[in-house]
Amino acid sequence: MSARYVPVSWNTSKLVYDALLLAAIGLYIGVYLWVAPSFQHATLPLDEYSARMAAFGTCAFFLLTLILCIGPAARLDRRFLPLLYNRRHFGVLTCAVALTHANAAFEWYFSYSPLDPYVALLAGNTSFRQLSGFPFEAFGIFGLGILLLLAATSHDFWLAFLTPRLWKALHMGLYAGYTAVVLHVALGALQTAHNPLLAVVMTLSVVLVASLHVAASRKSALPAEPEDGWIPAGPWDSIPDGRAIVVPIADAEPVAIFRYEGRLSAVTHVCAHQNGPLGEGSVVLGCITCPWHGFQYRLEDGCAPPPYTEKLATYRLKLADGMVLLDPRPNPPGTYVEPLRVA
Amino acid sequence: MAATIVHAAMFYGAVGMGVAVLFLLWGIDRIDPTAPGAYAFRPLLIPGLVLLWPFVLLRWAVLEFRH
Repeated sequence: MSARYVPVSWNTSKLVYDALLLAAIGLYIGVYLWVAPSFQHATLPLDEYSARMAAFGTCAFFLLTLILCIGPAARLDRRFLPLLYNRRHFGVLTCAVALTHANAAFEWYFSYSPLDPYVALLAGNTSFRQLSGFPFEAFGIFGLGILLLLAATSHDFWLAFLTPRLWKALHMGLYAGYTAVVLHVALGALQTAHNPLLAVVMTLSVVLVASLHVAASRKSALPAEPEDGWIPAGPWDSIPDGRAIVVPIADAEPVAIFRYEGRLSAVTHVCAHQNGPLGEGSVVLGCITCPWHGFQYRLEDGCAPPPYTEKLATYRLKLADGMVLLDPRPNPPGTYVEPLRVA
Repeated sequence: MAATIVHAAMFYGAVGMGVAVLFLLWGIDRIDPTAPGAYAFRPLLIPGLVLLWPFVLLRWAVLEFRH
């Protein structure tokens, strides 16, 4: 976290993450452009520009699919959490790959047009009333526009400037972008594909994204009924040391109950930085640490340690026969609550 | 029609560049207390400022009024 906008120092895990991502993209493009052509049918050779378009286009589609899978996968299995940490770089790289695909297509189809190339792009096909030959480019332009907007607003400044609620809503536009990209491929490349591989892989990708989201949403437990104003959160020893359980609350944000060195503390599950899932984080050096960007908060009052100023809402806890009970009414952000001693 | 859209987009982008320059040289220091003294990140904001400049102007005015 940063009190002012300075370049973030990259730690080893961030460097490894980015290096692996770049290597994977480079390997995919390299194999597509220089290895795959030796296996293609002699009667249907793919020219250089078409190969570039396909390589970068399919790469961008798979990266987008992975980005959309990371969130629900991490909710289903904590081992995927490290993939969440640097998702911002993942998104910006995906945008760069998609732009390269668009540039290759633009050069191939419009560079020698007698019209202005951009005018030719928009005016070349206007058969919006028929499915066959539908101007699939429109979906590609829309999807690319969304990727550009999300990459352009990925800096922390935009979160503060737009407010977290609006920023989050804007970035949920990725689902609209993905839908547009699927339509772009379905009405474009799939219409002229000579083998079913692309159709099969694209269908599997969409099914994977949808099923992971459904599974993750089913995993979220229904809110428990309060008893005398207190919600039973479960036995205290079911909370792993240094970790949290997340308690859903009816018509309110979920609450994360952390256990650390024999004491329990409860704060909102929603990080004050980018609404990250705090309850999926852990306690590092005595502070709750958000799994998304490493923002930290003290357990007892939900305040970020000085000089930082972010604050979380805290909650009261009590024990009854080994069961943790939670008062679902949030305290004002930064309110001190004595941690509940359990062992 | 297509030519009109292209010209409108170019005009929108040109105005956005102007807004971006003004905002980064002058406005950001007035509405964001964490920005003064920090310069390296500012070029990273240019694409977003160009894309969202009408909203940026609106939000800038609101924050100016609050300060």
